[in-house]
Amino acid sequence: MAAPMELSCWGGDWGLPSLHPESLTVMAYAKFSGAPLTVNTINNSWRTPKGDIPVLISEDIVISQPAKILNFLRKQKYNADYELSAKQGADTLAYIALLEEKLLPALLHTFWVEAENYCSVTKPWFASRIPFPLSLYLPGKMSREALNRILLTKGGPPLYSLSEVEAQIYRDAKECLNLLSKRLGTSQFFFGNTPTTLDAFVFGFLAPVYKVCFPRVQLQEHLKQLPNLCRFCDDILTCYFRLTISGHSPSGQDTADANLQKLTQLVNKESNLIEKMDDNLRKSPQHPPRKLTTLKLAAGGEESPLNRLSP
Amino acid sequence: MWRYLGERDLSNAWSAGKVKERIVQFKKWVMGLSVRTITRPKAFQKPGHLCLHLLQMAFLQMCNLPVRVVCRANAEYMSPSGKVPFIHVGNQVVSELGPIVQFVKAKGHSLSDGLDEVQKAEMKAYMELVNNMLLTAELYLQWCDDVTVEEITHPRYGSPYPWPLNRILAYQKQWEIRRKMKAIGWAGKSLEQVLEDVDQCCQALSQRLGTQPYFFNKQPTELDALVFGHLFTILTTQLTTDELSEKVKNYGNLTAFCRRIEQQYFEGHDKDNSGTAAPRSAKRSLLR
Repeated sequence: MAAPMELSCWGGDWGLPSLHPESLTVMAYAKFSGAPLTVNTINNSWRTPKGDIPVLISEDIVISQPAKILNFLRKQKYNADYELSAKQGADTLAYIALLEEKLLPALLHTFWVEAENYCSVTKPWFASRIPFPLSLYLPGKMSREALNRILLTKGGPPLYSLSEVEAQIYRDAKECLNLLSKRLGTSQFFFGNTPTTLDAFVFGFLAPVYKVCFPRVQLQEHLKQLPNLCRFCDDILTCYFRLTISGHSPSGQDTADANLQKLTQLVNKESNLIEKMDDNLRKSPQHPPRKLTTLKLAAGGEESPLNRLSP
Repeated sequence: MWRYLGERDLSNAWSAGKVKERIVQFKKWVMGLSVRTITRPKAFQKPGHLCLHLLQMAFLQMCNLPVRVVCRANAEYMSPSGKVPFIHVGNQVVSELGPIVQFVKAKGHSLSDGLDEVQKAEMKAYMELVNNMLLTAELYLQWCDDVTVEEITHPRYGSPYPWPLNRILAYQKQWEIRRKMKAIGWAGKSLEQVLEDVDQCCQALSQRLGTQPYFFNKQPTELDALVFGHLFTILTTQLTTDELSEKVKNYGNLTAFCRRIEQQYFEGHDKDNSGTAAPRSAKRSLLR
């Protein structure tokens, strides 16, 4: 019905389809709304038309920021917020603003600015996925941009040193996580039983914090003390992102076919074994033919020998 | 000295130029607490005062605390964070809305005690929405829209200083704000997109407010003070175009909300006041 849509974003690891929060948000929204997106993992941000990631390309249209991508998907009738009331829509905007103001700086800091995390996890991970010689330059550039953003938005007086700014942003982030946990309560998603835009954004921001293994993890430890948020992330991962072994998120029908093929092969193997056993039994004269009711046969072709044997 | 001059980033909204100093004096002292709000004199009002000033005044008056507004030319140097207005209570000085709210709470006055946990979370989320969208849009309009910058912002920002300091400081400030816009991704936005964002934000606020008198039903909270401060400033400030205030005026319940708070918390106190010379009517007529 719609033109084929392609999403370019960073790849994933540690059980996640992507490590980049914004890419994860867009992928989650696409799953929730049923939009058929083919996901391309890119290995450097200069291949995308404007340098932003994630990028949605549909025919000739190129859209780059998550909010705009989500708007485009809604216009194409892939709307996950269909059942929300006006007030809930307003709440969505407010909570997204809360996430961006309070949680995003700490997330950026954990990934890109904290020296131990950056040197031991983030930089090698991104460098391994970017071709040489860009792998020497791009991670550093992303780290500088993150630090810049944190200092420009949060670093004014009365906070004068980086450690004070860090303390403040982590306090804010922990408070934000507490607020989200209180808002979620015991329900499955933020607005009832169906996931919406807000769930996509929260998942996009929380999942990297939750899953990626860093040496310095104060935010992750705080998150683990909020079981309903952890359960929320795990639920979305298991229900909407069943990953293949390679770690890329499959597009629906192909997985089903691949799984069906594997299942059919297993069944065929087993039924061959059973046939052999069956022949052996029939050849030995001392044993009368028995009802082989204990044998389970899936495919229809195997039913005739069984019918012959059972009365 | 240069650091103080450079860090005076108060430009969250812009002054109408007609801001009057009102000395509001109360006869009673509530719980031994006397609060002085200190701000800059009218002649030297930087763009960005009115919003914060109103915000604080609204909040303090909602808490029923006696407030006296005092104007000083060196207000920014007295403030601990370089931002005005700030409050001076006894021997303590507190600036910016967040710390002021906490300070007042520590003294036993809080507007949000009656809210449950989920409502408090909602309130904080909406406050962030206002800060994120409205504040950034105001900054964008003030410093990144060339017409407004030339005609209004530069003259106003540099007005206390002699040439060439006025031009240097104004350009320095502009450069700083544009850097910030670039870092958060607003530099690539056009004016129409910014106005659309403001519209979305106002729509969200309007839907949240609905037909209630305040955002959390019967009692005003910090969110009401914050929204009032921003919306009132947008509605009453003259700019090169009226597009921003038109966006807000599209939502009748928001304008009614501003008028209601103005009448309840600001005009009532004017009547007690013998010394005020500033014409309230000028402002009243602007808030149509």
